[in-house]
Amino acid sequence: MLPRRVLAKLTAAITLAALSLFAFGICRATERSELVLHGIGGDFKGFDPVDCGDVESADQVSRVYEGLLEYAYLDRPYRAIPRLAKVMPEVSADGLTYTFKIKQGVRFQDDPCFSGGKGRELVAEDFVYSWKRLLDPKLQSQGTWIFDGHLKEAVVLDAHTLQVRLTQPYPQLLWVLTMPYAFVVPREAVEHYGGEFRNHPVGTGPFRLKRWRRSYRIEYERNPTFSGQRYPDTGEPEDKEAGLLEDDGKPLPLLDRIVEYDVNEYYTAWQMFLAGQTFSSGINKDYFEKVITPQLGLSDALKKKGIRLYKRPELATYYIGFNMLDPVVGQTADPAVNERHRKLRQAFATAIDVDKYIAVITNGRYLPANTPIPPGVLGHTEKPYPYKYDLTRARKLLAEAGYPDGRDAKGRPLRLTMIMPGAGSTDARQQADFYSEQLHAIGIELVVQQLTFAEYLRREHDGETQIFWAGWVIDYPDAQNFLQLFYGPNKCPGVNATNYQNPEFDRRYERILSMSESPERTALYEQMAGMANNDCVWALIGYPLAYGLFQPWFQDYKPHAFPYANWKYFKVLPH
Amino acid sequence: MGAYIIRRLLSVVPITLGVLLITFFLFRVLGGNPAYRIAGKNATAARIAQISHERGYDKPLFLNFQDFPRSLLDAQFPRLCAQLARLDFGESLSTKQRVSTMLRQGFVPSLCVTVPLFVIELVLAITFALLAAYFRDTWLDRGLVVVSVMGMSISTLVYIMVAQYWLASEWRLFPVWGFEGPYYLVLPVLIGVVAGVGGSVRFYRTVMLDEMFQEYVRTARAKGVPQQTILFRHVLRNAMIPILTNVIIAIPFLYTGALLLENFFGIPGLGRMTVTALFNGDEDVIFADVFIGSILFVIANVITDVAYTWADPRIRLR
Amino acid sequence: MTVATTTMTPAVPPQTATPAQPTGLWRIAWRQLRRNRLAMICLVILGVYTAIWLYAETVFWGARLRGVTPAYKVSNYDIRNQPPSAAHPLGTNYAGRDNLGQVIQGTRIAFEIGLLTSVIVIPLGFVLGAAAGYFGRKVDTVVVYLYSIVDSVPPILLILAIAYVVRGAIDRSPVFQTVTQYIDSGLLAVCFGMGFTGWVSLCRLIRAEYLKHRERQYVLAARALGVSNAAIMFRHILPNVSHLIIINFSLRFPGLILTEAVLSYLGVGVANEPSWGAIINDAKQRLWLGNWWELAGATAAMFFLVLALNLFGDALRDALDPKLRTAEAKTA
Repeated sequence: MLPRRVLAKLTAAITLAALSLFAFGICRATERSELVLHGIGGDFKGFDPVDCGDVESADQVSRVYEGLLEYAYLDRPYRAIPRLAKVMPEVSADGLTYTFKIKQGVRFQDDPCFSGGKGRELVAEDFVYSWKRLLDPKLQSQGTWIFDGHLKEAVVLDAHTLQVRLTQPYPQLLWVLTMPYAFVVPREAVEHYGGEFRNHPVGTGPFRLKRWRRSYRIEYERNPTFSGQRYPDTGEPEDKEAGLLEDDGKPLPLLDRIVEYDVNEYYTAWQMFLAGQTFSSGINKDYFEKVITPQLGLSDALKKKGIRLYKRPELATYYIGFNMLDPVVGQTADPAVNERHRKLRQAFATAIDVDKYIAVITNGRYLPANTPIPPGVLGHTEKPYPYKYDLTRARKLLAEAGYPDGRDAKGRPLRLTMIMPGAGSTDARQQADFYSEQLHAIGIELVVQQLTFAEYLRREHDGETQIFWAGWVIDYPDAQNFLQLFYGPNKCPGVNATNYQNPEFDRRYERILSMSESPERTALYEQMAGMANNDCVWALIGYPLAYGLFQPWFQDYKPHAFPYANWKYFKVLPH
Repeated sequence: MGAYIIRRLLSVVPITLGVLLITFFLFRVLGGNPAYRIAGKNATAARIAQISHERGYDKPLFLNFQDFPRSLLDAQFPRLCAQLARLDFGESLSTKQRVSTMLRQGFVPSLCVTVPLFVIELVLAITFALLAAYFRDTWLDRGLVVVSVMGMSISTLVYIMVAQYWLASEWRLFPVWGFEGPYYLVLPVLIGVVAGVGGSVRFYRTVMLDEMFQEYVRTARAKGVPQQTILFRHVLRNAMIPILTNVIIAIPFLYTGALLLENFFGIPGLGRMTVTALFNGDEDVIFADVFIGSILFVIANVITDVAYTWADPRIRLR
Repeated sequence: MTVATTTMTPAVPPQTATPAQPTGLWRIAWRQLRRNRLAMICLVILGVYTAIWLYAETVFWGARLRGVTPAYKVSNYDIRNQPPSAAHPLGTNYAGRDNLGQVIQGTRIAFEIGLLTSVIVIPLGFVLGAAAGYFGRKVDTVVVYLYSIVDSVPPILLILAIAYVVRGAIDRSPVFQTVTQYIDSGLLAVCFGMGFTGWVSLCRLIRAEYLKHRERQYVLAARALGVSNAAIMFRHILPNVSHLIIINFSLRFPGLILTEAVLSYLGVGVANEPSWGAIINDAKQRLWLGNWWELAGATAAMFFLVLALNLFGDALRDALDPKLRTAEAKTA
């Protein structure tokens, strides 16, 4: 019934699994300034908004399709603004009815599926059709959660007025409507192309698909019927200085063509970036020292080339979760035993030197975490983390948990098993080594199983875990998206992979569900995050910062925590 | 001979069934219900049950005895076989594309790498093997053997890494990555040949030497037939059988592509597709792959047999 | 198969029944090998590797049994990615661990893979091959069918599929908890994968030999005297074909080491121990920084072992069974 997310999990795994999913830009220098070439981050599921559960699919879909709302590109904190809606919706006093006025004159791109081949005008009925399609069980979409349990009906009042009626207040509705799952598709295309619909996108968006060779190359061109959206003229104060407002008022998209190649070897992609063939690159942690100076700035060699460095806070939290159903680390009915298990989890968390982890394993690319809610989201506090690295305290907690020096009452060593995604990748191996070594210091033998992502999901889903490494990237800028991960009824196979149960927490969670933003709600968020910390459901690791490098000729880029639907703002200078 | 060929071709049925059974066992029985993967992280138990039902994952695995004997074959494995027999390869779980489309798009790039690689390697290997056999037990022969064995003692991975880094990235002799034209294939093919030729030389040399120890060679030599004539007219001709066997049997595997080369050099072929499918637990792709593979394998075997009769007229197929 | 022992019939002593003399065969082979200088050099190299392997095992088990972190796993982040020096002849890796220590442990992994895989390959290949060759008919049909199935799937795919699925099963299953305390689950999975694909070549070889031997005089005589089939297969014929198992092993071993590197790249290799494949794959990311020593160390270690095994295997084959020139097809 509740918002659940795949996208976030995937992002986390992708960041970790340096194996095959790197997203890198590749760009060939050509005389045509409009041409940007960049890398696809692995396989995606084609152009069907109902199937964009992974970051890559969401990104690709959002170039062709659009929704009622979108994020304001330059504004922070993040803000939803109308896209296909004319203005923000009118909301009824009880918060149960949202009335959207839809822009007039918006047309789908020209396509043979329409009579005469000319794109038809967008009407309210299209949204009803698209959302019904999303919820159609036959399509097995992973995105039904955005409406499940909330949406009563969507009603067409007239050709350009749509009314969304809810069963209960859902302040997050405005956020989920910016997500690709809620994007609008024309019935004609679905019916005309049938099973091939996902390979023939027909949207209202800034680009249209020109050519696509799976696992190799994809090419878009400007959609000539894209309707008058212009580059924003306001942003944060520092945007002007950064030159992000120079194109204000120019019609979007700024690019005529996008060409991407799918490079799945980091090592190959990095060579291409250095050769100026790609517009951007992530930074592999092993390259970090040569690229980034110890002060976390760009090294001189790259600066000379005019390459720019961006740090983007990811609105994500990386953590180690404990399965509360596990007989060794979990919750039990017996309060004394329960307390001992809690001590064990706390000992585990306290034994991990997060600062060292960040310094040596991630090269300073995380901020140490102190609460499950990352900074930049209401509900984050600056209270110190209760399980700061302290070996003496960790040993003491472990002894209180019934395992002095890591031995149980019978003298057998305590052996715990943690799973993490990223099988076979160097990154996963290095992390696994690190955690085993840290816990060995207090006498716990930690076996780390590195799994393929499919297997990892399955284990988590089935609750066949004891301890799991995980990350959660936020779906929309509301801490509720994090707190759902501790809500009892969301237990496996739901998003609450820890199976944490706390009636006090659940009661508060149910309250905040219908609350709009207010100091009271924020206070509840903080309280709930504190409860999760208190029970040590997660051993917190950090909030990641994404570092990216860009060629000097790539312009108008501003890091965005929701990295889809932004391609129309990017620009390339002649080079 | 016609009857023989037909009989042999019919063996495709048990072999393909066997291959599918193993694959099915690995992925469906040990690997678990794919409905979890389809439903994704956000699934509820009800949703998984629904998907399982729609896709038939809730049926018995091998045989259905519930309504014996009418619905005996209404089980997962027989249904899978029936589906493949209709040449319906289903839909990829991870890309949501028709598997037949993916196969069609992937096999040309794969062959673009594997066929030149295979032919060049074969020609080189046989040439070197003949040389080694002709100059057997001289420094040339020993040198060739040792160099071949040295060549095959280095991991293909190292060849690729070193060649891609130095030849392509540093010295810019070849494109680093891509599938834009014949020139893009030169480096992958070159690496493949270098990595593989050692083993082939060693193999074909032993094949040649086998023949050189035969009675007829001794007789010919005793008669004073020149070495070259013996080598080319007799030995090579008679060595054709093992060579043919080796060559034809290798052909079906060309279509699976070169996993490593495809991955490192960005060739959108079947090798890369298969590995990705394996890690995503994308069973439909795997089933289709092994299904086609085993059929090609049986056909190649029959061709080998027929080729025998051509290479050695004494052989009769019955 | 049931072993029908015929107690009343005097068993034929194998020595008199077998025309070939195993001891003689080995002695002659050894004499020939000793004359082969290359083979002797390889044997010395193999001896050195075996010594390294045994040393690595003592390091591993010593730490394991005492419950401490073995030296090769202790990280020292102050000396990361250092080039070769007197203290660290092969430099250090990302965690400041001595790369030589890693390569030495890699030797252990390589040998463990060779041995564990053989634990699957030899019984499976031998029993199936012997039964097929000796009994012929239906048994033969079944065995040939089985290996045709394995043959018709590209080996690397089958290995990957088995290793991948088995790894998942091992990780999930509580039964394997104790085993994986001592043997890495990735390593076990890889051995399963290579074992269940690798038995075919041995099986073929043994089958062909048993087909020949079952018609030999000594076998016919033993059968006439009522010796059980099992006794004939294992006590009488086996000594005459045992050298094939050794040749097959020595020629298969190098292939296993190379395959492990590829599997490691494809993500199903050894997970928590420094196998050569893992070292090479990790080195890939740092090659760009000029960190050549990790790649060079593991590659060299792998090169000399595989080379020595291949050359020695060839020599051994020539010495033991000169006719058997094509005993092992090309390795993948």
